[in-house]
Amino acid sequence: MTRYIVRRLLQSIPLLFIISFVLFAFTNSLGDPLAVFAESRNRPTAAQREEITRRLGLDKPLLEQYLYWLVGNDWTLVDVRGDGSVMEPGTREGVLRGDFGNSFVTRRPAWSRIEERLPGTLVLMIPSYIITLILAIAIGVYSSVRQYSFIDNLVTGLSFFFYSMPIFFIALMVIYIFGVQFTRWGLPALPIGGTGNGTFLDLQLHMIMPVFCLVAIQLAGYVRFIRSSMIEVLSQDYVRTARAKGLSERIVVQRHAFKNAALPLVTLIGLDLPFLLAGAVVTERIFAWPGMGRLFIESFERADVPVMMAILILLCVMVVVFQILTDVVYTWFDPRIRY
Amino acid sequence: MTTLNDTSKVSSQVATIGEKTYAKGQSNFSRSVRRLRKHRMALFGALLLIGVVLFVLIGSMLITEAQANFNNPANRLRDPSSEHPFGTDVIGRDLLARVVYGGQISLFVGVTAVIVQMLVGTLVGVLAGYMGGVVDSLLMRFAEAMLSIPQLFLALVALRIFADPSRFPDFQFMGRVFSSTLVVIVFVIGLTSWMRVARIVRSVVLALKEQEFVTAARSIGARSYQIILSHILPNCIAPIIVSATLGVASAILLEAYLGFLGLGVRAPTPTWGNIMGEANAYIGSWYYWFFPALFIILTTLGINFFGDGLRDALDPKSLN
Repeated sequence: MTRYIVRRLLQSIPLLFIISFVLFAFTNSLGDPLAVFAESRNRPTAAQREEITRRLGLDKPLLEQYLYWLVGNDWTLVDVRGDGSVMEPGTREGVLRGDFGNSFVTRRPAWSRIEERLPGTLVLMIPSYIITLILAIAIGVYSSVRQYSFIDNLVTGLSFFFYSMPIFFIALMVIYIFGVQFTRWGLPALPIGGTGNGTFLDLQLHMIMPVFCLVAIQLAGYVRFIRSSMIEVLSQDYVRTARAKGLSERIVVQRHAFKNAALPLVTLIGLDLPFLLAGAVVTERIFAWPGMGRLFIESFERADVPVMMAILILLCVMVVVFQILTDVVYTWFDPRIRY
Repeated sequence: MTTLNDTSKVSSQVATIGEKTYAKGQSNFSRSVRRLRKHRMALFGALLLIGVVLFVLIGSMLITEAQANFNNPANRLRDPSSEHPFGTDVIGRDLLARVVYGGQISLFVGVTAVIVQMLVGTLVGVLAGYMGGVVDSLLMRFAEAMLSIPQLFLALVALRIFADPSRFPDFQFMGRVFSSTLVVIVFVIGLTSWMRVARIVRSVVLALKEQEFVTAARSIGARSYQIILSHILPNCIAPIIVSATLGVASAILLEAYLGFLGLGVRAPTPTWGNIMGEANAYIGSWYYWFFPALFIILTTLGINFFGDGLRDALDPKSLN
């Protein structure tokens, strides 16, 4: 087992290097990051801009920039003026030592931007994911046990319907009904955007609509998945045996069927969990929610390479880690599997 | 989730390919068609789709593009009326006309992006599965790498790089002006979503290439490309068609998301997504966002129903 984990970790290292280089190449060709400085109040002169470019290492070839991004440049000298007259030691420590560089926009460490936004995203994503899972298991199991009943057909139809729906439609719909129309009708309306005035109660009020939308969108896929894997398990011989032994239907469903049907669910959850960190770009945009999705869009619009890279690398690392974790958890749930 | 389902279906399909389960005088194809016609959900989906396509086609015959772009700020944000059945937008353009012409673009993007996606996915899948070894692990690691980044993020970055209007000017086609982003977005969506197809095709190829008929073909001197073209690809058609059908729905949705964020196909070309993006600031005018969203939902719902039925119809596991 340990050997397996170590091998997987070692295998993922070259993968991460390849991904990070490709992403670095892509994000660096997004546009001129110095355009941000041009719109600031004390606009730098052309000479100053060149100096900033050299300090940031943007004049170097891509491969060299990537190297500095990776291992930092504090072990070498930066030619600030471009003519060798002023040589300063570099200040960056590089990603391998936990330094993602400074944001081009805020001039503060890129990682601190993530630390600011991550809680916002998690506050939104974790409750909605938990609610989704609980509801999906309840609905999926119920509808598989009563396959082709009215309820089951209704669930199948509805899950198709929500599965096909863009999240912004649900979001705009609930905002229109509970935000706009309730105000027009003089009913107590739900707040439309933001995170409120800082109290827990207000935060909860602001969370209702985005969490509802996220649940509505995610639920459909999970219900379909659980229903189909339950139906497959329920037709197995050991389920018939369990019934033949005279076990109550509850025990059969809970202990014999669901436990086995939950195995593929573990894989699915392991694949989906890391992406919760990415936040929900569209939902966060509509509800003006300060999360990772909006951070990505903001830094994308201003070509803020360090922040974008920090977000993307965080995601890739989490995906790799969760894949390995899923495999480990899997052996725990299913003792037949050995690595 | 879909990958799990797809691969299990694929392997079962491969398992039954050798068995002689077909009645006399019935081709696999006619059997599938018959099964599809009995599938009520699939028929319903097909009807929805035909409805949307007819709406867009007939609409664009009755309404000129000039009407879709004719603005009249005095007439902005009007409720639906007999003159403007879907109301008017923020600069007074007729929303019915916008939805018709936006539909053309959204459907076009959906279908062509899936063609790109299928070509790349099949190519990668066949190469990886057939060649095996280093090629296989390199291609699959690359696919994994791309899967570990949210598709929306990938598409955004790729769009920004390639959709630079100074690099690609707007172009004229059949007497109409299109934004250059239209072509770019087709390729961006296609090239960021081929990974699942590649995996499905690869798993079919892996299972097929050890079968006797492939060995037989090789033993009479068939070349690799001949084996791939005439023995392996025809057997991959069913899963490819299914994922292509469902892929159109997700391509249309992705285009809508990009358009909604204001980063998709740019003006002057309307799409369902970017109409909704404009409407985001005017949520109180329900008709502004409701109608484009309604058509997105009808289309994706139709495709998903139809695709699901297609999967059942093409899957020999459900032979009875």
